[in-house]
Amino acid sequence: MAAEYAIELKNINKSFGSVAANKNISIGLRRGEILALLGENGSGKTTLMNMLSGIYKPDSGSIFVDGEEVLINSPEDSKRLGIGMVHQHFKLVEKFSAADNIWLGAEKTGLFLKKSRYKKIEEMASRFGFEIDASKLVSNMSVSEKQTLEILKVLYYGANIIILDEPTAVLTVQEIRKLFSVLRKMKEDGHSIIIITHKLDEVMDISDRVAVLRKGEYIDTVNTADTNQQQLTELMVGKKIDLNIERVKTEKKLPLLEIRDLTVNNDENAVAIDHVNFYIRGGEILGVAGIAGCGQKELCEAIAGLRPVQSGMIIHEGENIIGWTPKKIIEKGISMSFIPEDRLGMGLAPSLSIIDNMLLKKYNDSKGIFVDRVQGKADADRVIKELSVVTPSANTPVRLLSGGNVQKVLLGREISSGPNVIVTAYPVRGLDINSSYAIYDILNAEKRKGTGILFVGEDLDVLLALCDKIMVLCHGKVMGIVHAHKTTKEELGLMMTGALDYNDEKAFGIAKDSRINEKTEAGGEPNE
Amino acid sequence: MNKTAANTHSHVKEPLIRIVKRDGLKLSKLVLVYVGAILLAMIIGCILLASMGVNPFKFYEKMLTIGVVGNAFPYKCFEGYIKLFTPLLIVSVALSLAFRMKFWNVGGEGQFIVGALVAGWISAIIGESAPSFLVLILMSLGGAIAAGFYGSIASVLKVKFGTNETLMTLMLNYIALYLIMFFGETKADWNILLNEDSARPIFKTFFENAWMPVIKIGSFSLNISLIIAFVITALIFVYLKKTKQGYELSVVGDSISTANYAGMKTGRIIIRTVFISAFLIGLAGAFYVSTAHSLSTSVTNDVGWTGVIVAWLSKLNTLAIVVTSALISILRYGCTQAAAEFASVDSHFADLLQGIILFSVLACDFLTRFKVIINLKRRKSHE
Amino acid sequence: MNNEALGIFINFLFSIVVYSIPLLYGTVGEIITEKSGSLNLGVEGTMAIGGVAGYIIGCSTNSVTVGILAAMLFGALCGLVFSFLTVTLQANQNVTGLTMTTFGLGVYFFIGNGLASSGKWPIMTEHSAIINSWEAKIPFLSNIPIIGKILFSYNIFVYLAVIIAIVAYLYMKYTKMGLKMRAIGENPAAADSLGVNVIAYKYIHIMLGSAIMGIGGLYMGLNLGGSFEGSTCWINGYGWIAIALVIFAGWNTAYAILGTLVFGFFNTLQVYNTDLAYAFPNVLGWLSKIPPHLFKALPFIITAIVLVAASIRKKKNPNEPSACGINYYREDR
Repeated sequence: MAAEYAIELKNINKSFGSVAANKNISIGLRRGEILALLGENGSGKTTLMNMLSGIYKPDSGSIFVDGEEVLINSPEDSKRLGIGMVHQHFKLVEKFSAADNIWLGAEKTGLFLKKSRYKKIEEMASRFGFEIDASKLVSNMSVSEKQTLEILKVLYYGANIIILDEPTAVLTVQEIRKLFSVLRKMKEDGHSIIIITHKLDEVMDISDRVAVLRKGEYIDTVNTADTNQQQLTELMVGKKIDLNIERVKTEKKLPLLEIRDLTVNNDENAVAIDHVNFYIRGGEILGVAGIAGCGQKELCEAIAGLRPVQSGMIIHEGENIIGWTPKKIIEKGISMSFIPEDRLGMGLAPSLSIIDNMLLKKYNDSKGIFVDRVQGKADADRVIKELSVVTPSANTPVRLLSGGNVQKVLLGREISSGPNVIVTAYPVRGLDINSSYAIYDILNAEKRKGTGILFVGEDLDVLLALCDKIMVLCHGKVMGIVHAHKTTKEELGLMMTGALDYNDEKAFGIAKDSRINEKTEAGGEPNE
Repeated sequence: MNKTAANTHSHVKEPLIRIVKRDGLKLSKLVLVYVGAILLAMIIGCILLASMGVNPFKFYEKMLTIGVVGNAFPYKCFEGYIKLFTPLLIVSVALSLAFRMKFWNVGGEGQFIVGALVAGWISAIIGESAPSFLVLILMSLGGAIAAGFYGSIASVLKVKFGTNETLMTLMLNYIALYLIMFFGETKADWNILLNEDSARPIFKTFFENAWMPVIKIGSFSLNISLIIAFVITALIFVYLKKTKQGYELSVVGDSISTANYAGMKTGRIIIRTVFISAFLIGLAGAFYVSTAHSLSTSVTNDVGWTGVIVAWLSKLNTLAIVVTSALISILRYGCTQAAAEFASVDSHFADLLQGIILFSVLACDFLTRFKVIINLKRRKSHE
Repeated sequence: MNNEALGIFINFLFSIVVYSIPLLYGTVGEIITEKSGSLNLGVEGTMAIGGVAGYIIGCSTNSVTVGILAAMLFGALCGLVFSFLTVTLQANQNVTGLTMTTFGLGVYFFIGNGLASSGKWPIMTEHSAIINSWEAKIPFLSNIPIIGKILFSYNIFVYLAVIIAIVAYLYMKYTKMGLKMRAIGENPAAADSLGVNVIAYKYIHIMLGSAIMGIGGLYMGLNLGGSFEGSTCWINGYGWIAIALVIFAGWNTAYAILGTLVFGFFNTLQVYNTDLAYAFPNVLGWLSKIPPHLFKALPFIITAIVLVAASIRKKKNPNEPSACGINYYREDR
């Protein structure tokens, strides 16, 4: 028991092509501690940890386990050294059962698959204090069940150094609390844990020490007890920053977009949005909270006319737009931007230039058979200038830009079309703090102009600070719409899991000054 | 707790070879890599030829000069070359249109056959009586439109039901092949494609009005279809770069969900583009039979397959397609010329060599995307 | 039904099996390849190379066993080239497969025409061991009337194919290696993170699949009497049908046995149409009026219809390997 550190990284360098992801990083994990690895998106946390899990190999530098230098060439080496990592994007085979996902890597279990494996895995799980159904297919599991399975996998292979990459990103407040108690118990059992995160309150809650990375460089390691959120932010961002998101006050206006009794199906033809009512006024930001995949995407697509509606109405300025083509809806002034997980999937054509992406919704407005790229160039230059997009030129393919700049291009284009309703989902997904604030500022500026905004978000803190009202979705149903300044994260968390449902207590989602009149209602189903 | 894990881990060595992604390569290096790949393939070909008892250098000389050297009628070689090159150019350009939308049309063979067959049929009906330019225009249009519709079978099914277009167009190739064989091998009163004077079923020669006109340059006849092929290539280049339809095509190819999102009618765009693609392939088929003056069951010369390879090698770049199809035509035509001289070498050596060249290019393509680091000072984990 | 008609009908049933078996080799080989995460479109070429190599070597050693082993070896070599290009060098699987087909057919004709033109092409009937084992039947059982002919009178290739299909099914479903291999076809990153050697598994299964395709190629050649024609390859598009059959069989090698029988049926019709029309003039008389080309095109038409039907059904087959056709590079982000 000589070495102080369970694992230690010294002078690690790693680059991808011309991009240096890790520059000369040295950190150490003490035995039996929880170390938070803090940094913004793109600061190189995951890259660094993937060198411990054997997915990447460092360009230079050394790794010590228990004071002895080791080489990790593959995940197999990592497994043998007792290092286990729970990746942010779970590495699970969806079509396999829980047991098979663990069994996959088990050695010396014979040539054949035996039924007894289910029992063995369940016993192992209960030894660590988890109750699982080992024969359940991963595709039928909830996010937190999948995460539990990933943790079990790591424990099964006897890891005593456990790395978790953004484990809380997809969990509700209650689930996070449960996860943290699991981590504390693992720590008591003698495991050493690294948790990657960029959420400060969680760092303060769970960790013993915090190591901070910024833009691929190591900044400092501090004891959690000796620091505070403001100091950590400064370490992380590199300058003093105002952590408050402004909630702009505007005058109350008439409802712009009203959703009545809307039901929408998903790709598998199951109900994704279930009899939903809500409305957005001009100059208002309505937040949408919910666990990932509980209907957000389908809602956005239905409003934009990209997905057929089963029943209900979507009323824009008193006109039912159901059945309209996406093109007509765009022209009516509804802009939708959705940042999917891969960030480039919808709204932008990654291989095309910024200019061509600017033209996406209006290339057909010019006369003749040729595309008017002069107009596109003017638009691109304006957006680049106004939103300070960092790019070599307007001809650069969008996929070569960094995440923040990609999202600025997308939002910039949407705003330049002068919409009166903006539907935006996850606009700050994967962005660093500065870029995120730039996006919030853009949205607030639009709000001031009287635009109605539907903001689908992930981070409850952001929703609470930015939005006027928050609607909570759970399995496609609205659990309630609450005023952002009156609610708490706990309340939202309970609503997200369906534990708290306001449907029985009070009516919501239908404006008293609704612009739905007899004429529009004739087309849809009456609601009241 | 914390048993020294490193003990059980003492033989791990750093790997000798590491592979790292790279951003891209300068054009000059890129060309160097591909030239290297072709050279490598030629060397393998050398060994094969030598093992057949053929002097590889003589063979290659004949091949690369497409048989011009030492030939009493060198212009015939150029004419033969053009006859092979013209359809390949049109087909490759046409396929690249569909490929740009990630529609894997490997049905070039079938569409070419349909174009040729319909053109042949039209020439048999009106070739004797109608004026030449009318015959030629009707043949070209008829063949092209028929092929366009034939290609649309796969695209409509793809759009409507998501049917796998690769396998679908493949099956359509074979169906078209047996169709032309049916016409070529069935003696009947209605079958105007066959030579009436022959007891055995053989395709008849076209009436002279259906022959593709040529421009005489000395004794060399320049086939008009070559000029049209270049015009088509130029038009497609402009179509892709400048027009709205070309723009739509590139958005659909890049991200179909983005195209939907922008309000584009993606299904219609796919069907339209595949129609144009198959239309051009059918046109090439019509041109070809009009140049050859007759139908044949092996009318395609594998142009549908070779076109896929040319389009892919050129990374769908229209200008690169011109160069690549010219080079591949040298390989294919040169090989048949050379094989005619060396009895022990089959003309299918072209397929074999083409396969080796492609394998070699595929392998060397790796160097353009990855860097190989050879680590001679391998560290051990525990020393 | 008179005796002659019955005889023709039994021969017809017998031939269905004979004609479906080569497809079974191709299909099972491709299922193994796809289940481990690779889409090999080079079945046609692999079968051609395996077939011609197996035939020549088998004849020159006068041994079917050596022929089969040679077909497997050369099939596996094609698989090795495919694996090296797509697994190690990350080349596009579609293009590599198509190239394998061009290359394979080139090799087939190059060697075949080369030997034929110099009169060295081996004639099957001159090789007693091959003819004997081709005609060998299971003793006793094959003498049972009707059933003996339909079930027990085939050459060894038929039984070998069925055994391979069943073993492959059991292997994928019930063994640890099968589990790992399926995991790679679904999510190679997951398998890799648990220490499964993804590269080795891919190489092994691509090569194994290609080796099985090679046997199918040899079978097709032997079934045609080993005659070499300068213009048509033995395989003649069946490699492509095998790829489509993978979808038809739902990535299940046991179902593939049934799936290939359906195709064997249509295939046999083109040979037996006049016989059947003669034997059953009232019911099947119309068969003789249909041009032979339609029968030749039928397997392709049926495959096309099956493809459309499968896609109309919309619901994805749960057996379809999710990561099939996508190259795996560990450091991809």
